[in-house]
This record gives sequence, C-alpha cells and structure tokens, in this order.
Amino acid sequence: MSCSNLTMWVSSKPSLSDSSSLSFRSFLSPFQLPSQNSPISSNPSRSSSSSSSVTPIHCGLRELRGRIDSVKNTQKITEAMKLVAAAKVRRAQEAVVNGRPFSETLVEVLYNINEQLQTEDIDAPLTNVRPVKKVALVVVTGDRGLCGGFNNAIIKKAEARISELKGLGLDYTVISVGKKGNSYFLRRPYIPVDKFLEGGSLPTAKEAQAIADDVFSLFVSEEVDKVELLYTKFVSLVKSDPVIHTLLPLSPKGEICDVNGNCVDAAEDEFFRLTTKEGKLTVERGVVRTETVDFSPILQFEQDPVQILDALLPLYLNSQILRALQESLASELAARMSAMSNATDNAMELKKTLSIVYNRQRQAKITGEILEIVAGANALE
Amino acid sequence: MTLNLCVLTPNRIVWDSEVKEIILSTNSGQIGVLPNHAPIATAVDIGILRIRLNDQWLTMALMGGFARIGNNEITVLVNDAEKGSDIDPQEAQQTLEIAEANLRKAEGKRQTIEANLALRRARTRVEAINVIS
Repeated sequence: MSCSNLTMWVSSKPSLSDSSSLSFRSFLSPFQLPSQNSPISSNPSRSSSSSSSVTPIHCGLRELRGRIDSVKNTQKITEAMKLVAAAKVRRAQEAVVNGRPFSETLVEVLYNINEQLQTEDIDAPLTNVRPVKKVALVVVTGDRGLCGGFNNAIIKKAEARISELKGLGLDYTVISVGKKGNSYFLRRPYIPVDKFLEGGSLPTAKEAQAIADDVFSLFVSEEVDKVELLYTKFVSLVKSDPVIHTLLPLSPKGEICDVNGNCVDAAEDEFFRLTTKEGKLTVERGVVRTETVDFSPILQFEQDPVQILDALLPLYLNSQILRALQESLASELAARMSAMSNATDNAMELKKTLSIVYNRQRQAKITGEILEIVAGANALE
Repeated sequence: MTLNLCVLTPNRIVWDSEVKEIILSTNSGQIGVLPNHAPIATAVDIGILRIRLNDQWLTMALMGGFARIGNNEITVLVNDAEKGSDIDPQEAQQTLEIAEANLRKAEGKRQTIEANLALRRARTRVEAINVIS
C-alpha cells in the first residue's frame, strides 16, 4: 500500500526534478507512513469503509469530499422527512382527538339503548353470531415505506393469523387497505384477496365507509361469518403494536361485552381487548352508569328498536373502522419519524467520521508538500 | 330551561351550544323539539335540521344517523353534517344534477339504491340552502 502511495505521490509532482526525487523518496517515507495509518487506527469501528476510501490518496480526497456531500444531502432529506412526519403526526392526533367525542357518545348511547333493549327480542343483521366457517381479515397497512418495521410488522401479524386460521381448518379472505399491503398480497396470488383499497393521506369517514360497505355486504350475504381487523395500535410516539380486533359480528351490547365464546378467537385477541379497550372502556362505562341513572328509565323509542339499531350499528361500525385507520396512520407516521430521526443521527455521525478522515488526509498532503518544498530548497543550497 | 344541542360527526363537532327550538327529520317524519321534551331516542333520516336561535332560523343538512333527546340535552350523531351557510350553492346544484343523471342511468337494484341515496343527499343539501326562513 505504501509503495503505491509513494509512486502516486511522486508521479503527481511533475515539477520536481529527477535528481531530487531519489533523495525525496527516502526522506518522505518515514513521515508519510504514520500519518497514513493514523486515521485508520483512530477509527477502528468503520475500518472497512474508511480504509477503502483512504487507500488511494488523491482519488480518495475527492471521493471523500463526494461522500461527505452525499451524506450531507441524505441527512437533509431524512431531516425534512422527519419534520414532515412530525407535522403529520400532529394532524393525525388532532383528527383522533376530534373524533373522540363522537365515538364516546356513540358507545355511550349504544350501551344505553342496549340496556333497554335487553328485554326485547331483536334481531339485527350485524350482530348475528354464526358458526364460523370463513373469516375475512381487514389488513390495514401504510401507503409508503421508509418507516422502519411498520408495514412488516402488520403483514407478519396477518401472515401469522392466516396460518393460524389454516391450522384451525377455516377458510379466509383478505381485504387489503394501503398500498404496501396491496403490493405484498399481489405478489402472493395464493392468498385469496377480496378487495384492494387505498388508504389516502388522511383517513376520513368516506374511506371508512368504503371499507364498512364492503365488510357489511360480505357479512350480511353470509359469505363470511366473522370479520377481523388487523391494524397497528398507536401507543405512543415511540411505541405501536399490531393488533387483531373482531369487527363483526358486533356485539349488540356495545364494546364492553365483546368477549365472545368463539373458538376462533386467538387468546391474543382477548388480551388485546383487555389492554387496548379495557383501559379506555372502564372509564366510559363509569360515565355511562352515572348518566343512565337519571336518563334512561323513561327513554322512549320514536321508532322500532330494530330500526334504531339499524341506524346505530352502521355508525358504530364506521367509527370503529375510522378509528383503526386513524391509529394506523398515526403509528405509521410515528414510526417514520423515529426511523428518520435515527437516519439523521447516523448521517451526522458518518459525516463527522468522514470529515475527520478527510481533514487528516488533507493535512498529510499539505505536510508532504511542505516537506517537498523544504527538501527542494535544501537540495538547491 | 335551556335546551342544549350537540351535533357530532366522526370528524368533528359541528354544533355544540344552546338553542331555543329545533325541527329534526326522523325516519318517521319531522319532529319539533322544545325545552323539557320527553326523553326519546330516534333514528335520523337524511334531511334538514332546523335550529332556532332567538328569532333566527338556521338550517343544517344531516346525512343520516341517530339522535337522543332528554334532560334538555339533544345529542345528534350523524355520518356527516353541513351548515346551510357553509354549502356552496352552485356546487350543490351541480351535484344534484349529476345525481339525477346518475339515477336515470342506473341499472340493477344495487346501483339504483346507491343513486337514490346520492340523490337524496344532494337534494337535502340544496334544500338546506334554499329553505325559507
């Protein structure tokens, strides 16, 4: 290595006279070698990349500069993506917060009315519990990549659920929401997919309605006997969990009594219900109880209870799906934010080490040149 | 006694304040609600909601849902709601015409049902603007 360096050094200095080159070579080598080795020994962690960039000096300097520039650009991009994701997270969170009064009141009303309807014999199509032969899985993924393991995690969850259903000898079909999931399932034609839907930038009631319509017709036509929703639950900005949640049949008693005796339910499913819902629902239930006392005993129904449930349950289904979409989006953005923040940090570190190597080399080159001049002057004297 | 009205959609709270009187289109016809109304629960049709504030009538287009009345508290849960003053008359009129054309073109039961629904929504929005106050 040192030999090739030296030849390069010498050949790159055509101005030097031949007579001085001999003496210069012997003079330079003891100085050159330690300065050559020092950047490598100081960065043992990135030995492979830095040493490869260091090896040819002249080319190396320019290449280093190029690498520093490209890392700088990458850092700018990741930084910008992080900021964009952060702004969008805030918007997504706002959407969730704005939707909360609706869903809370809805659950409250549903609970309220169910308490009254318990004595009556009603039969709403969305609450029919049938023996399960076929299950529809609604898989909610993101539209874009570069968000860490977000899409992977939910798809893996879906795969696990599918193999579980296969193990139980049940039929299944997939409704895929989001571009990433769509391309995944399109590549795997052996997985039956009922419909591909796209998420859109910010989920609204319209998107939820599209999914709800599809799910509704599948369930009511008895094509499937159970609908499960797989999405990523937003826990916090740094944590999100892929979860499975039974969408249909709806329990006519509202969310609270969702614990179904269905053999298809994974034990995990119930576990989620406890963590994701119980925490919230115990609060809601408490609220409902206090209100029902002074409220419901004389509540009259303007229409048939069946008609009222017919009006309520689709609303409930919609709001459930909308919430899942919103949470999934929020987790995607949060995942992207942390992934991009990591990328920015890495780029910063890489830039730092690269600049150190670059400066060392530049210094070595300058030292070499000074030595050359001094040696030349000495030779002339 | 004051009457409080709260109109909620999945996206936001459309209305949450005191009113004097409302007229609500339910599945079984319009009902007027004054303070101290008996507690009832009703399904809400696609139709207009009229709100009286002192002597002023406001309209709102509701896209179907549910309402609960009691304790001088009205809670309306709907898929979508728009204030009459927020609707663009031209756009609404255009949507209505498109919906009418779609209904004429519709074939099959499912399409007819969907076109009918769209037409009713569009008509409600136009009505919400042109209501005589």
